[in-house]
Amino acid sequence: MAQAVAVSETRERKAANSARGRRAVDRLATGALWAMALFVVLLLALFVCYMFYLGAGSISWHFLTGLPSELTAGGGVGPEIFNSFYILILTLLMTVPIALAAGIFLQEYSRTGLFRETVQFSAESLATVPSIVMGLFGLLVFVQTLRWGFSALAGAVTLTLLNLPALMRVTQEALAGVPATYREASMALGGTKWQTIVRAVLPSAVGPMTTGIVLISGRIFGETAALIYTAGTSVAHGNGAYDFNPFHTAETLAVHLWYTHSEALIPDVDRIGNGSALVLLVMVLIFNVVARVVGRQLTVRLTGKG
Amino acid sequence: MQVTVPTEKRSLDKMKIEDMNVYYGAFQAIKHGSLDVPENKVMALIGPSGCGKSTFLRALNRMHDLTPGARVTGKITLDGQDIYADDVDPVTVRHRIGMVFQRPNPFPKSIFENVVYGPKIHGENNQKKLMEICERSLRSAALWDEVKDRLNRSALDLSGGQQQRLCIARVLAVEPEVILMDEPASALDPIATSKIEDLIGELKREYTVIIVTHSMQQAARISDFTTFFLLGELIEVGTTSEIFTRPKDKRTEDYITGRYG
Amino acid sequence: MTNVRAAGKAHRTERLALIVLRGASGFFIVSIALLIGYLAVEGTKLFTVDHKSIFEFLFSPTFAPDQGHIGALAFILGSLFVTAFAIAVGGPFGVAVGVFFAELAPKRVASAMKPAIEVLVGIPSVVYGWLGLTLLVPLIRNTTGSTGFGLLAAGIVLSLMILPTVVSLSEDAMRVVPDSLREGSLALGATRWETIWRVLLPAASSGIGVAVILGIARAIGETLAIQLVLGNAPVIPAGLLSPASALTSEIVMDMGGAAQGSLLQHSLFSMAFLLLLIAMGLIVLVKLVARKAA
Repeated sequence: MAQAVAVSETRERKAANSARGRRAVDRLATGALWAMALFVVLLLALFVCYMFYLGAGSISWHFLTGLPSELTAGGGVGPEIFNSFYILILTLLMTVPIALAAGIFLQEYSRTGLFRETVQFSAESLATVPSIVMGLFGLLVFVQTLRWGFSALAGAVTLTLLNLPALMRVTQEALAGVPATYREASMALGGTKWQTIVRAVLPSAVGPMTTGIVLISGRIFGETAALIYTAGTSVAHGNGAYDFNPFHTAETLAVHLWYTHSEALIPDVDRIGNGSALVLLVMVLIFNVVARVVGRQLTVRLTGKG
Repeated sequence: MQVTVPTEKRSLDKMKIEDMNVYYGAFQAIKHGSLDVPENKVMALIGPSGCGKSTFLRALNRMHDLTPGARVTGKITLDGQDIYADDVDPVTVRHRIGMVFQRPNPFPKSIFENVVYGPKIHGENNQKKLMEICERSLRSAALWDEVKDRLNRSALDLSGGQQQRLCIARVLAVEPEVILMDEPASALDPIATSKIEDLIGELKREYTVIIVTHSMQQAARISDFTTFFLLGELIEVGTTSEIFTRPKDKRTEDYITGRYG
Repeated sequence: MTNVRAAGKAHRTERLALIVLRGASGFFIVSIALLIGYLAVEGTKLFTVDHKSIFEFLFSPTFAPDQGHIGALAFILGSLFVTAFAIAVGGPFGVAVGVFFAELAPKRVASAMKPAIEVLVGIPSVVYGWLGLTLLVPLIRNTTGSTGFGLLAAGIVLSLMILPTVVSLSEDAMRVVPDSLREGSLALGATRWETIWRVLLPAASSGIGVAVILGIARAIGETLAIQLVLGNAPVIPAGLLSPASALTSEIVMDMGGAAQGSLLQHSLFSMAFLLLLIAMGLIVLVKLVARKAA
């Protein structure tokens, strides 16, 4: 008996010794992972502060609403901000219905089969096309072949192609999150499949879908490379600057930020750039906050749960 | 409630549980459980589903540390040492008290790598030694003859019963003192089940085994002692033959005779 | 009677809905097919119309289309270098942060920190470029005495840009590893780190592979963020601190001035087609990795 106890004691001691070293490694690794995650967040905080520091001085009513200047200092970015929103809305008008329909089809109607596979693969491929390449496609097809010229519409259609896959995914995930019991209940009450989807399934998916749409809107708002050779790098002149004609050239704020730095002749490039970058950043932050708040509100209102 | 194994039946107590309570948030899943676990015996925990027997078992090697919101109070000792004491590392506790789960959970690695996983993390790197450990553990788990020619194949290619015996071998390889088993045969077919049961009979020569089972027949076949749980309370403990033939508590009798689900 | 009519109407609606839904889905197929088709035609004119050699395009470092030299090697290497840099830095970092969210972060911490990652995704690439230009380039210039423009600046900016992709996909990959493996490892006396390193990461390896590949895809196609900080010299970069060019930055720089049908324009379309082929190759790779896992 005494021997058995002794054996067990040495083994315990050995285990305890090795455990001490292993625990140290565990602590070290845990600490490192925490540090890395915190680093990312701090970096973001640093960026935001830095952008405010750089850009706050540029922001004025005149800057936000005034017309840009080609040669002299003191221009504003009013038409660019307008164009950013205008192209965003045009893009959403095309993206949302198509992505919604395709998402519903893949999630609710066609769970298997070659057609589904092909659509899914096409979507994944579209999602991976670099935005500059998509821009050149827009240039070839919409600007040149269809003769729309550099225009808000050419830009919007190009952005539609770029963002359809993401929104379709959002739709699919939102639908996948709706409990199967909702569908069964509606079908069991004699609803057709379409009635079931429209009345029982979609209302529960609206919350997460809205969050997704708003987040993607942020991305559309800031997209640049795909717009340079589709929507163009200038705004319509004079009183026509705030212009709803979809066939007029429509430089957005993000494009303006790039273009002023790379090509423009104005002396106050830095002022315009810092201000534009800050406006873009603030818009992204707003889109993120809105996405959260609105998505949660809608979910609560339409499904009665938090 | 204080229930103890009758003194004359007792060998050395390997583990002692005194006034254990387990909470999930505000819900109390185990109420004042006390139990002495004799060494080198098989102790079965039985009771209707949801009675807390798995919760009880998982407290014995500090698996609840991993569940957010779970809290364990009371005193649980292994060879007289409080396993929940501040200076005790849960990792060391789990090294000494191994666990086999309801569903076989082999790692997506080779059979060999599965068995030597424990020894490797505990610092054994000698290939020859590891091979010895592997063979010994697989032999003890009655799996060696079936897999000796394919130790480098994926463990996921084994049948469910083989996977479960592999998981037992994996526990044996770290040379624990106590083995906890949470319904280890519930996901297996009858033939695989009987192999596991034979194996448990072998294991008690070297280990102390505590096994949760939902099958009273199984408890009767393999265990030396049986503890009956109901609604988070330990109702009665005794030798298995006593519990099944002469239960002292009315509720135990009702369960044994099939009046609970 | 009304019941029958209502049922008939529901049936018609059902059929119409299906046609619309199917059409919207087919739109994806048509789009990608057109895109590949158009770029394949425009992107090969350099070889079919101008009779330049593919070999020269891929392996010659001399790019001067007005003198007939269409070698894109400098741009190809530039793209590969910045992408490799971004993956070497941003890949492990992103996986680590993804593991942190999946395995370590308490719920409250995760829900406080995740929005930050989402904001990082949302920041426009041109703003990343602007940050690089105003913050990073001067910093590199002052510490090294170089111009500040070049692979290092572009690599750092890109590392940051691919981070959210890698973080969220590797977090997903870790989350689908069944809990039973976690418990199995911990019950054998493994520490949390040993469990992550020896069981969970290998079990999630194909998902993490996908995360890294999609990170590569994002990096290789990134344009403005790197164009603003690369320095845009059409030469094979001599080192991390010398100015360089990438396929994307070259396209965006020169497309505006390229005359219709010129050798320059055709070269740029060939570069775009090459980028598209790389992107498609990566998607196929993702499929293969995912299939191997299943």
